[in-house]
Amino acid sequence: MHADAQSLAADAGQGHESHAAARTPQPYVHPYLAGFGLGLVLLASFVIMGRGLGASGAFSSVIAGGIDAVAPAHAQGNAFYGEYLGDGSRSPLMDWLVFEVLGVFVGGFLSGLLAGRFKKEIGRGPAITSGKRLVLAFIGGGILGFGSKLARGCMSGQALTGGALLNVGSWAAMMCIFAGAYAVAYFVRRQWQ
Amino acid sequence: MNAPLFKFGLFGDNVGLIFAFVIGIAFGFALERAGFGNVRKLTAQFYFTDLAVFKVMFTAIVTAMTGLFYLAWIGFVDLSQVYLTDTYIVPQAVGGLLLGVGFVVGGYCPGTSCVAVSTGKIDAVVFLVGIVAGIFAFGEMFPLLESFYNATPMGRITLPELLHVPYGVVVFLVILMAVGGFAGATWVEKTMAAKKGGQTA
Amino acid sequence: MMKRLASLSVPQKAAAAVIALGFLGLFAGDPYKGSRYTIDEQELARVVETTVDHVSPQELADWIIQGKADFRLIDLRTENEFKEYHIPGAENVPLTALMNHGLSTQEKIVLYSDGGIHSAQAWFLLRAKGYSAAYMLFGGLEEWKDRVLFPKRAANATPAEAVEFARMSAVSAYFGGTPQSGTADTATTPAIVMPKLEMPASAPAAAGGPPKKKKKEGC
Repeated sequence: MHADAQSLAADAGQGHESHAAARTPQPYVHPYLAGFGLGLVLLASFVIMGRGLGASGAFSSVIAGGIDAVAPAHAQGNAFYGEYLGDGSRSPLMDWLVFEVLGVFVGGFLSGLLAGRFKKEIGRGPAITSGKRLVLAFIGGGILGFGSKLARGCMSGQALTGGALLNVGSWAAMMCIFAGAYAVAYFVRRQWQ
Repeated sequence: MNAPLFKFGLFGDNVGLIFAFVIGIAFGFALERAGFGNVRKLTAQFYFTDLAVFKVMFTAIVTAMTGLFYLAWIGFVDLSQVYLTDTYIVPQAVGGLLLGVGFVVGGYCPGTSCVAVSTGKIDAVVFLVGIVAGIFAFGEMFPLLESFYNATPMGRITLPELLHVPYGVVVFLVILMAVGGFAGATWVEKTMAAKKGGQTA
Repeated sequence: MMKRLASLSVPQKAAAAVIALGFLGLFAGDPYKGSRYTIDEQELARVVETTVDHVSPQELADWIIQGKADFRLIDLRTENEFKEYHIPGAENVPLTALMNHGLSTQEKIVLYSDGGIHSAQAWFLLRAKGYSAAYMLFGGLEEWKDRVLFPKRAANATPAEAVEFARMSAVSAYFGGTPQSGTADTATTPAIVMPKLEMPASAPAAAGGPPKKKKKEGC
């Protein structure tokens, strides 16, 4: 994992001079190299922890923990929240995925900063207003959040992790992710193209 | 046979959290380097102009899958100790469709939205709020959804078990599929670029 | 130009290498070998000999009272027997359905049947399949009745035994049993009434509902 970070950092180092000279963002790493790095991170997670990567589970833990703090009876009476609360001996926030996702924020920030890619902006295509983009971002997030729980994991937890483990449900979910996205892509093309 | 290290008791839960943080940093770093903090690069996948999402994802799957396969084969990793989510085929397929729709409408997936937030993307913050709302809605509706959520259980099952073929055969097929897919994806990208007269997003 | 050529060939080299690795994988055999489908006889023999595979009825009772939720309690008897009485929190799983019950190889599993034979057989099955934390309730439900539900006080109890009996009486009351104090040496116990399945309302665990599930590991 450290070797992986180094190899990626070394790759970033190639554009170091241009970074120092101007704030032009560095080009992204070649997809295969980035994928290889990502694969090594995943492999490290398997070898060290015996589990893969994830993201949506961390949000679930935070939500379950939040509801448990506000309305404990409500949270504990719900089997879904209960799965994230455990036996109550440990805070739901003292969770592996929660810490992993905190790391994702830090890692993303570090990489963006080093590559000169940190920029406060709204990511959108030229043909859509910022307001509409934010509304669609919220709607998309809501659909995705709901779907991630039904699928028992998101792109990281199912497609990536389960994909590498040849998990049947993960491959089904992965195929359906691509199918769902391609099916709807035409209708939201003005948002991106 | 002494890995996964955690499962063999080399360290406890709290040290595990430190590893979680470090692995998370590497994960976020790799995602950002791949360009997955950029919503237009992510969604270009679905308009065939830039298939980096597919390439990165399948390179990662092939790397981890092949690495794990050989580490288990030499006896370093006990594969049965690596956590595998149980399969519930129908709800997972429906969930996958929703994930795909949410992905192309919202522009991110959970992991990439974190990276986008940490590089200053405001739409990603809104997207994250949307995820939280979606999970909250799921949680509140869970008593209604529970029977569907637990429908069509298949237990802990892998593709080799489902297809009754050796594990290595599926590994080989996935690799062939990925490499073929990469070649196809590169061809599609070139064709699309030519069609647009070299104009790149 | 040279650099461009070199960078072009790298993915192709990598692709060739990974295809070769995958091709070798065709002949590599099952990566699960040595884990899921084989029995480590020596290890099993050691476990059997040292009886670390046992959970005593008293231990189990304490776990339930403390509200521990880090284990799954499996009742291997028939459905009717299960309906008549079972240890609080148990799941009814016949031996034939054990492998498809969604148990995880890592979770703590406590098995019981009437005596010890069925649970021992189920235990062996589970261990052979790589369930590394399977345990048997020592003496099965018979022992549970004798030790937990209807503990007996020996006529000539030592002080230590008397203290233990007092403790077990409280435990027994918790599970709705009746301690058999007095003249146990007559060996004619009064008519044993099996407790009702519902836990007493005053019991601390009853307020919390069913025991909470183990925290999930996935996404």
